[in-house]
Amino acid sequence: MTDNKKSVSATLAAATCSLLGSAPTAPVQAQEEPSWDFNTALLYYGEDNDRVQDLSLNMLGKRYFLDDRALTLGLTVDTLTGATPNGAIRQDVPQTFTRPSGSSAYTIPANELPLDDTFKDTRVALTAAWEQPLGRLWKTSVGFSGSFEYDYTHLGLNGSLSRDFNQRNTTVSAGLAIARDEWDPVGGTPIPFSPMLDVGDIGNKTGTETKDVVDAVLGVTQVISRNLLVQLNYSFSNSSGYLTDPYKILSLVDGATGDTITRVPAPGAEGPSHEFRFESRPDDRTKHSLYTQAKYYMGGKVLDASYRYMTDDWEIDSHTLDLRLRWPIGERSFLEPHVRFYTQSEADFYTISLVDGATLPTFASADYRLGNFDAITAGLKYGWTTRGGNEMSVRAELYRQTGSIPGGLLIGNQVGRETYPDLDAIILQFSYRFSR
Amino acid sequence: MGGRQAARQVLVEAGQDCLVGRFDAMASPCEILIESGDRETAERLTRIAAAEAWRIEDKFSRYRAGNVVDRINASDGEAIEVDDETAALLDFADTLYSLSNGRFDITSGALRGVWTFDGGDRLPDPQAVQAILRRVGWDKVSWQRPVFALQPGMQIDLGGIGKEYAVDRVTVTLREAATCSALVNFGGDLAVTRAPRERRAWRVGIEPVSAADKRRNEAVLEIATGALATSGDSRRFLLKDGVRYSHILDPRSGWPVEGAPRSVTVAADTCTQAGMLSTLAMLEGYNAEAFLDGEGVKNWCRR
Repeated sequence: MTDNKKSVSATLAAATCSLLGSAPTAPVQAQEEPSWDFNTALLYYGEDNDRVQDLSLNMLGKRYFLDDRALTLGLTVDTLTGATPNGAIRQDVPQTFTRPSGSSAYTIPANELPLDDTFKDTRVALTAAWEQPLGRLWKTSVGFSGSFEYDYTHLGLNGSLSRDFNQRNTTVSAGLAIARDEWDPVGGTPIPFSPMLDVGDIGNKTGTETKDVVDAVLGVTQVISRNLLVQLNYSFSNSSGYLTDPYKILSLVDGATGDTITRVPAPGAEGPSHEFRFESRPDDRTKHSLYTQAKYYMGGKVLDASYRYMTDDWEIDSHTLDLRLRWPIGERSFLEPHVRFYTQSEADFYTISLVDGATLPTFASADYRLGNFDAITAGLKYGWTTRGGNEMSVRAELYRQTGSIPGGLLIGNQVGRETYPDLDAIILQFSYRFSR
Repeated sequence: MGGRQAARQVLVEAGQDCLVGRFDAMASPCEILIESGDRETAERLTRIAAAEAWRIEDKFSRYRAGNVVDRINASDGEAIEVDDETAALLDFADTLYSLSNGRFDITSGALRGVWTFDGGDRLPDPQAVQAILRRVGWDKVSWQRPVFALQPGMQIDLGGIGKEYAVDRVTVTLREAATCSALVNFGGDLAVTRAPRERRAWRVGIEPVSAADKRRNEAVLEIATGALATSGDSRRFLLKDGVRYSHILDPRSGWPVEGAPRSVTVAADTCTQAGMLSTLAMLEGYNAEAFLDGEGVKNWCRR
């Protein structure tokens, strides 16, 4: 864009003023008549081998008012079912575990990855936000978020401020969000590193636990040319409080063989066949991330590329590269291929098992999500505009997560028996956008 | 500006929570929405509006014998001294010519002699276009206020400015004549005299581009102050071998601009600004939206 182009409106305003012999008495206030714009989506996420299945319905409604003020209301309903690795290692004998609720037990056959199949939850999440311009160049927003599950509650507040500069070619924005989350698992929250007890014994459980989260983001969006838009964000996030996953455990193993120490439940009681310890994570986590995105318009096609680098004081570093190309087909539809690459290093307290008799580390978790892994997502989206002017799209994606256990973490028989629990998933989405 | 002289009558009727004054000018149906229940006031304001619109039409329509445009077009290269209002319009045309790098040119009307945008597939002979271009170009005129001279064979046409100018003139006149809010709408180019009091804004429909797009495109806009103008080719285009030729001609080549949206509606403080921005956006072709967004101008483009 040349300087000449930038001044068209201003030059025109001055020329019109001298043509009419008077300046306008009031600046223009015009907009589309307020109407609700609804964005709805049905999303299915399914992991292979009967692991997590998630079906979620999202609805977002936005209503504009005069002067670009807008209200956004969102509702998400989620149902989660399936099994997820509980953190224990494989054994060449069957293993019995007390369910997180403490009310019954489950048994995993020999040589199989211990999966906890009690995973079942319904989540309802609500969001509300109000956007309000302040004058011509400033914009603010305030919002609320709440999410409610059987065992987990999240309540949050957020706000943002942005200002346009340089003929609106540059936008600088800042945002802040605070949240308080509460865990209230059935049967209580386990005390970190406490042993898994027999069914009915709640000696290792306490009541509810909370965590507080503060997120801040600073961003710049810049129009580079008519075809190129770039964005750079820095974000900071601090969580403090109970950051442990109350459903994850570690096997307590023999330091020479690497096999889990066996255990005998109390007479007449049902309970764990081996020694398991609930995991323990630090009560503070600080993340920093840098995110950059470029959107490039080329004669109807749009290339959207983004990269994120995240590092935190749990020593997890991650890189995410995301590429989308929106390719129009005729006047009313488009195809959008998508690939995403992700890689992360493991947390410094990530481990495979705890050694019996050794001094306990301060923190430990065998949660595969804190391990060293790579993930790739590849998919395709097809979208079209209906005759009525509404937008629909379908999206299908494959997700593959493959990890490795860092050398040195495996002991004795674990070598060759224990592997990172790789994961394949499919994502299917149908979305529909309409106004009324 | 309009060809046929329509019957010059004004009519006032009841609208939705307002009174509506109607008349025809510049080949467009004109309406004045008045936020008043007083029929006498409405009739007075409509007559004032119509008088100003007809005055501008008579003075600047290239179809009226003896007016200033006619005298310039019939001058055969001779210098003509013009009045202040005409001079202001010529100054404005000069600014637009340089702002648009030569794409907005009030001497380009002659190209209409070879282009007929009737939805058909008849393209002109490129040599005929070239021949006409020799008689087109604001850079060929001599303009030393108040003296204007065309090259022999050239013509000017203020049709690209006139309607928006008339809307703004009428708006200024009505603002001085009444304290109630009025919306001045000349065939889709419109402005508001002052913010309405009994409603938060005037409601204005944007005309659909095609029947298929009707539901989506029957958008209703709200306007409290300022102006809206629309440029479009919903009916005026040529279609040949699958290529749609918009009626927006680039006077530098004599051929239609490629990739212009079917319609561009712009909101601005005055109707003249809105109209010129929508025309300049059309001239940008494929870049129409990017141009308007880059200018920080509120717009609704349809392709």
